[in-house]
Amino acid sequence: MNKNYIILFGILVVLSGGLLFLPEKNNYVEESPENLMWDIAQPTRYISTDQVAKMIIEKDPLFQLVDVRLDYDFEAFTLPKAYNIPIDSIITADASDILDIDDINTIFFSDDDIKADQAWVIAKRMGYKNVYVMKGGLNCWIRTIIQPEAPPETAPITEFELYDFRKGASSYFTGAEISIDSDIKKSVNIKRRKKENVAEGGC
Amino acid sequence: MGPLIPLGQIASGWDFIIALLIGIAFGFILEASGFSSSRNITGSFYGYNFVVLRVFFTAVIVSMIGLEYFDYMGWIDLNLIYILPTYLSPMIVGAVIMGVGFILGGFCPGTSYTAIAIGKLDAIVFTIGLFIGIFIFSEVFPLIEGFYYSDNLGNITIGEMLGISNRLFTFIMVVIAIVAFYLTWLIEKKVRKTITPYKFE
Repeated sequence: MNKNYIILFGILVVLSGGLLFLPEKNNYVEESPENLMWDIAQPTRYISTDQVAKMIIEKDPLFQLVDVRLDYDFEAFTLPKAYNIPIDSIITADASDILDIDDINTIFFSDDDIKADQAWVIAKRMGYKNVYVMKGGLNCWIRTIIQPEAPPETAPITEFELYDFRKGASSYFTGAEISIDSDIKKSVNIKRRKKENVAEGGC
Repeated sequence: MGPLIPLGQIASGWDFIIALLIGIAFGFILEASGFSSSRNITGSFYGYNFVVLRVFFTAVIVSMIGLEYFDYMGWIDLNLIYILPTYLSPMIVGAVIMGVGFILGGFCPGTSYTAIAIGKLDAIVFTIGLFIGIFIFSEVFPLIEGFYYSDNLGNITIGEMLGISNRLFTFIMVVIAIVAFYLTWLIEKKVRKTITPYKFE
């Protein structure tokens, strides 16, 4: 066999064998510390529970929820259609399949803000775009969406509108029926139109 | 960082221009490697010429090694490379049909065009047959559509199927290629001794 071929074979074996000794390398582009510091200072990463509820109800296709709590917490209770990526699994390739999707907004949540915020920092550092945190976590979700409190009578009208939305959302997520207060009697004023005079004359 | 078009480094409108340029380069390399000769191609079957196996196997292992190093260097993200879905049974049947066509006609679709480019008559006849085959396949397709899409394994790589890393699989492929090169060299040597060259009178 030609000597040149043997040399070429040797090169191929060395190059392909070298692959086995290379450390695994991640393909994500890390966010610079300066940009990360700037992003952390911004409150724009927070999304309220009301916004999240609205997106779920409206079946918004451009967002996904990621529960960063442990799997047994996730199995006990979570939000509809949420993925479970415990915080120590965010750097894995499986998590990348979920988080690394263009044009999809990822919203992290946990029991409160702390773990979700930590997950957000890790995801940002790994260069994932469009990541957010549900403000207040599941505790706030229960407080505002599942068991909303009625605003005081002196509250502005926007508070009442928000309360109405939350009551509707609560029944949507819990399956409870909306109670209609039968004690309140509403008077309906019927205004009858006066009969118009038949046009007189004509052509 | 690549892939260039999915990552927006090159606008997607350039797809066809790039495909055309790569196609021209591919055709040129095929012709330069002797693939426009049906004798060279069918030689793999008869055992006197394994140039097809050598060229394609070399292209495959060089690409595999190159892509793995590019991935490591961060020049390309292999996760973004499109992987064709594997329909196992239809692909095996298709491969057998392709192999029969290869040995009967002396060309595969790509090499037949390179042979036409240098004016070979047998390649023209082969290409006419190729279009008749495409027409028949298109007409029969509704009947075989169920089978065509059956046995779908998804967008899977052999490494994933075997549960090994793509790098290890690359290494294994290189070893297989070298063993294949050596064995075919032995076969070639043996068969060529028994061939009596045709003498033009």
